[in-house]
Order: sequence, then structure tokens, then C-alpha cells
Amino acid sequence: MNFSTLKVTNEWPGQEIIFCLAVDPNRQRLWFGCSDASVYYLPLNEEKAERVNLSGDGHSSYVTGAVLAGQKLITSGYDKKLVWWDTESGQQIKTITAHDSWIRRIALTPDHRVISVGDDMQCRVWDAENGENLGSFTDHEKMTPHHYPSMLYALDLSSDGSCIATGDRVGHIAIWNAQTLEKTAELETPEMYTWDPKQRRHSIGGIRSLAFSPDKTKLAVGGMGKVGNIDHLDGPSRIEVFDINSGERIQMMENSKNKGLVEQMQWSPDGKQLLSVGGNHKGFISVHEVETGEQSHIVEHSGHIHAFSTDFENQVMITAAHQRLARWSFQIEDPQPQETKSLTHGDEETDNS
Amino acid sequence: MEHHHRSDTLDRRSMMRLVGSASGIGYAANMNQINAFAQDALNDQLRASGKRVILLWLAGGASQLETWDPKPGRPTGGPFAQIQTSIPGIGISELMPKMSTRLGETAIIRSLNTKIADHGTAYELMDKGRVNEAGVDFPHLGAILARELGNIESKVPDYVSMYTSTEGRRKGSAGFLGGRYNPMFLTDAMMPENIQRLEAITDTDHRDRAELLDQLSKIYARHHSHPSFEGHHSAYGRVRGLMASDYLFDIERESETVRNQYGPTQFGQQCLVARRLVEAGVPFVKVARAWWDSHGQNFETHQELCADLDHCMSTLLDDLKDRGLLESTLVISLGEFGRTPSINGSLGRDHFASAWSCTLSGCGIQGGTVHGKTDQDGNTVVEGEMNAGDLYATIFAALGIDHTKEYMLGSRPIPIADFDSTPCYPILT
Repeated sequence: MNFSTLKVTNEWPGQEIIFCLAVDPNRQRLWFGCSDASVYYLPLNEEKAERVNLSGDGHSSYVTGAVLAGQKLITSGYDKKLVWWDTESGQQIKTITAHDSWIRRIALTPDHRVISVGDDMQCRVWDAENGENLGSFTDHEKMTPHHYPSMLYALDLSSDGSCIATGDRVGHIAIWNAQTLEKTAELETPEMYTWDPKQRRHSIGGIRSLAFSPDKTKLAVGGMGKVGNIDHLDGPSRIEVFDINSGERIQMMENSKNKGLVEQMQWSPDGKQLLSVGGNHKGFISVHEVETGEQSHIVEHSGHIHAFSTDFENQVMITAAHQRLARWSFQIEDPQPQETKSLTHGDEETDNS
Repeated sequence: MEHHHRSDTLDRRSMMRLVGSASGIGYAANMNQINAFAQDALNDQLRASGKRVILLWLAGGASQLETWDPKPGRPTGGPFAQIQTSIPGIGISELMPKMSTRLGETAIIRSLNTKIADHGTAYELMDKGRVNEAGVDFPHLGAILARELGNIESKVPDYVSMYTSTEGRRKGSAGFLGGRYNPMFLTDAMMPENIQRLEAITDTDHRDRAELLDQLSKIYARHHSHPSFEGHHSAYGRVRGLMASDYLFDIERESETVRNQYGPTQFGQQCLVARRLVEAGVPFVKVARAWWDSHGQNFETHQELCADLDHCMSTLLDDLKDRGLLESTLVISLGEFGRTPSINGSLGRDHFASAWSCTLSGCGIQGGTVHGKTDQDGNTVVEGEMNAGDLYATIFAALGIDHTKEYMLGSRPIPIADFDSTPCYPILT
């Protein structure tokens, strides 16, 4: 695939930090969660779409996860809650306190179970219809080796919903059978965690994103490489790809030009490319060729990108970033050997090579 | 306990220089330093009261919004909730749950406006209580309090400073008070190195040498009275006491229960050392916890560092209280500034000195109080503004030290708190 034509078609600037989004299958409606504890609806099909704040008490802290389950939207937040919304009326339906600490991510299985991970280091399973707790499990230590609270940032489901992956601050990954909730494998990415024992005496980093390949034989792990000055997100963005069966790391893609965290990843449908977003105080969208590890495309963005959703069929991408929501278009072309292309958002029109 | 190679070795010769350097400046006749050994009689009662200070130095600048002045629900508030404390009407960040139940002996100041927001200059300001002035080498807080609270004849150190992280590490200077009041500065190991007696010299020999020196000095003094000699004699007289104080730094002498209470982190261990030191009569101990400079990932950084601060500070206050020491020990938590209310693209907060917080606990403090107020987003002080001089005046007043007291630098009077400083009386007992 060739992403050289990736360009912004619509932007919705704001004051909030946008952490998560959910798009309906028709790509006509978008919901997103923000730092103002609000969940917004945006009708993408309208020419001058304006966001609508959903009604209800909702969340009381940052909204960090959103999934669509039929007519229901389920969101999660740092307030430890899962909130159910009616997407037709925009009304809040149900709220449960799901974790003892921040909820970092949620995902929806094809059989309509919600999976959540939080800083209580638990992975929990919920009935998406009635909110019933169907199980809890963990393989993640509550404290780091240096005696500080750890965090369970990352979660992904295989496309068929049979496997769950969870990843934490110190670089530990567990893979689970989504039916039995038994652990099937574990991986380690210690480079994602930087502990500064001398200069600043705290840590930064952690596994921030996980992505099963379409055939679920590989797992991509995203974060940030080792950092010299942990005051800033100053480390190289880093992706490691593992063969799940062997546990062997088969690729490592680290880029010091694109600094910061890899917040979310998505495989191309053919499993050959890996799209990732993230950043430090700025953002990036990056495309890597998994087989070679080469970065085939990079777009810089004005704000750190926390989440994205890509529709390969319609060749549309939506990014959720610091004070900015954006819709992008791209064209999929036959793969051609090419040099890495780099452009800054705003320069897209001048780079059509 | 971690042991590292010590780059800033305090050898015996340096030790002698440290304790003896004041002897060379005992003349008190020059314009740059005062007589380090001339203690006024008015302070004798204060010294006898055994007041002590522990400064928890939050190097790099802790966020007031994630500690003592949360703004939940505001765009600047960040993701953390506010929790109710044991004092009705007072809420602090949920990152400080243990301290929320221990505010009975603590006053929160939420209205510091110190204006300077770069690390080096802000450190100088908060370490001295005033901006630097050309030609005057102002002493820092520890040196002033070592002089005001310490006993010139003390056999324990007057001033111990622990700063094991390297970022932002500054030793500070006793300035015109002279080297007598410089800190015993521990940068790597918690145990001072090279203050042990040489193995080649027996304890008896060492004691005999000291007694011989003492006798000769007394004979000399009968015929030669001079401040410089008195300083020299006093400095050497302290050496055996300082050498014998190494046990104070050995937390293995504490019960396992107590060590567990302070926890496994280095900051916890250093807080335990601080308690041991003040219990033994050391008047000023600084424990630096670096590095709070969270330009990126402010919230994760504070989840780590606040967990450390909350646990160690609350344990320290409990321990001091249980031992009957809190009434006579002032515990200060302070950094060089706070952090911006605005949240940057890296989910960080930057330097901010316009509206930030600190705490004072224990000696002389009206616990359960909050002084000052910031606006709803924490951008400005709207009530009870205090500057660095006011904070120093408050600290001195809490300890019973007249904040208008002056040191005479040559013919120039230098007030110990900056000109026009005012103590914050509502938080004082």
C-alpha cells in the first residue's frame, strides 16, 4: 500500500485533549472522549459538522476508551467507570465502577463482551448488554521493581476475538485465551521502560499499544525506547513485533526522528504494514513495512495523537489528538519500492510524489 | 540501601576544613563574613528548647495541582480527583491519601508567588529566602537555622543535607556565616564516608591526642585570647563528636518494624535517617527528593513521586509524633517552584512560580489550616499572597526566632528574613 497521499480533509480544533474515538461501521457517525470528562458525538456526514455533548453525569475525569456495541456506546475513564450511552438519543443509560484505579483501555469482542484494563493491574470482562462482570485476571505486578505504582496501559483483541493481549509499564505482556481467560503466552519488552536510578530517580515509558496481526500470529508492541532525559518524552518511538508462537522478536523499529510514545497501532489488511500514531509534544502518523522494518511513510502532526481509526476500504483515517480531531484521506496503490517520504501536516498538497 | 561510588568524598582533611574553616574567619572584622562562633545569649533559651527542622526538598518543582491545591473539573485540573481530608472543608489531591488523614499538624500554603521559574535562580531564591545581591553572600536556610538552633559545642552535625540524585543537585552555601555552617553533604551513600578513625590509630591514642591538644590549647589560651584561636579550638573539639555520630546514619540500628514503616525507597530510608538525626539533636536536616520536573507525562510522574512523598512524609510525621518530637520539629515540604496549570502536548506541566504551594508541619504550626487561595484554574493567587521572604519569616516565627533579627556584616545589618517580610501568623500557634 502507498500512503503518500495521506492528507487532512477536515479538522475540528478544540481546547480539550482527545484520548479516544469510536466510529460507526458506515463511517457516518463519530464519538470521542476528552480531557474535559465529556463524550461528544460528531455527525461526519454533515458538511459543517459540529460536536454534541452527550447527556448525563457520565464521567468525572479523562475519558480514555470508547467502543460501539450495536446501538450502545460504552466509554471508560480515569474515574474508574464504564458508562453506557444510547447512540440514538445521546442519553446515558448505565454506569458501573469497573476498576479500582484508572481505566486505560477498553475493547469489544465480536460476541459483545467488553474487555477493560486499568491501573489496578486487572483485566476485566463485562457483558456489553447488561454490564455484568464475567471475569477478572492479571499477570501484571502492582509495583515496579523500584517500588513505585505500575500501570496497565495497553490492550488488544485479535480480529476474531479469540485472543487478548495486555501490556504494562515495565514492559511485560501477557496473552490470554479470550474464552477461558487463561494465559497462553508472555513476552517481555524491557526497552520500553526507562528507570533513571541516578539522575532523576523515577521512570517513564511503558507499553502503550498492542496490535495483533490479522492472522493473529504476530503481536506488535508500541511504546518508547530508552530515554536520556526523562523530564520529556524525548526517547525514540519504538515498535517491536513478536512471533507469538515462538515468543521470538522478529522485528524492531525504533525512530529517533519521531520521538515519543506509540499510542496506537493498526495492521494493514494484508498484514504487511503497520500504521502507528503517537508523539511527544507533537504527533506523528507512521507506516512501517513489517518484513523489512523500514519506515515507508511519516506524517508529522501539530499535536500528540492519542488514538486513530482507519478504514482501508474507504481509505479514510480519523485521528484524535491534543486539542484537535482530524479526518484524513489516503489512496492505496500498488506497492512500489520507494524512499521514505516525510512531510509535515500542512504541506500535504505540495507532496504528491 | 544503595551504595554507589562516591564522587564527592568527604575525607578527614575535608572534614577538618569543614569544621575548622570558621576558625580562620573568626575575626569578624571583614565585610564578607561574620563571626561564626559569636552566638548571642538571647538565643540560649531557644537552643535549649531543642527545636529542629526537616526540609523535604522537592527538587525540580512538584505540581501543586497534583498535591496540595487540586482543581478538579477545571481544564487545568488534570485527571486526578480531590479527596476530603481529616479537616472539614479542606481537600487535597487523591495522590496524597495518607497525608489527607494527617493534616491535623500541617498547614498548607497555597499562595506562593515567587515569580522566578528557572531552576537555578529559583533554587537560589527558595534556598535563601531572597534574591541574590551583588557583593553579599547570603546564607541559605539550613545554615541560618544551624546557627540559630545549633549549639556551638554540639557533638553532632549542625546541618546534614542528603541529595543523592544528580539532577539539580546543589550543595548551597553558608555564605557570610562561614564554613562552620556548611552542610555535611551526602550525595551517594547515606553513611558519611571517611569520618571513621584510622585503623592505625587506636581509640585510646586518638582520645589521648585530643586531650593533649586540649591541654595545650588551654595553656595557650591563658596568654593569647583571640577569636580565631577560640574558633580553631572549638572546631577541633567537635571532631570526636562528629566521628562518633556515624551511627546516626545507620538505619540498620532501627527495628525491622520501623524500617518497614518507612518503606523500601531511598527517600523513605533518608527520611528515617533524618528522624534519627533530629532525635539526636541535629538542628537542620534536608532530604532532597528529585526530580519532579515533569515536562512530559506529568501525571505518571506524579503517580510515582507522590506515592513516595505521601508515604514517607506521613510516616515521618507519625514517627515524630509518636516519639514526642513533632512539637519541637518543623517539617517543611518545598521545592523551587510549582508547575503550570496548563497541560502541554506531552501531557506535562512546565515551570510555574506564580501560584504554588508548600506545607509546614509540627513545631509552631497551627495544624489543619490552609493559607491563601488561587483562582479557579490555579493561574493566579487571589488571596494571601506570600513571597519567599514571607515564607522564611513564617519558618523563623514558627521556630521562635525573631524574623527581624539582623546579622551584622561589617557595619551593615542583614535581616535574617528579607526586608519587609511578614510571617503568616494565621498558621502559627
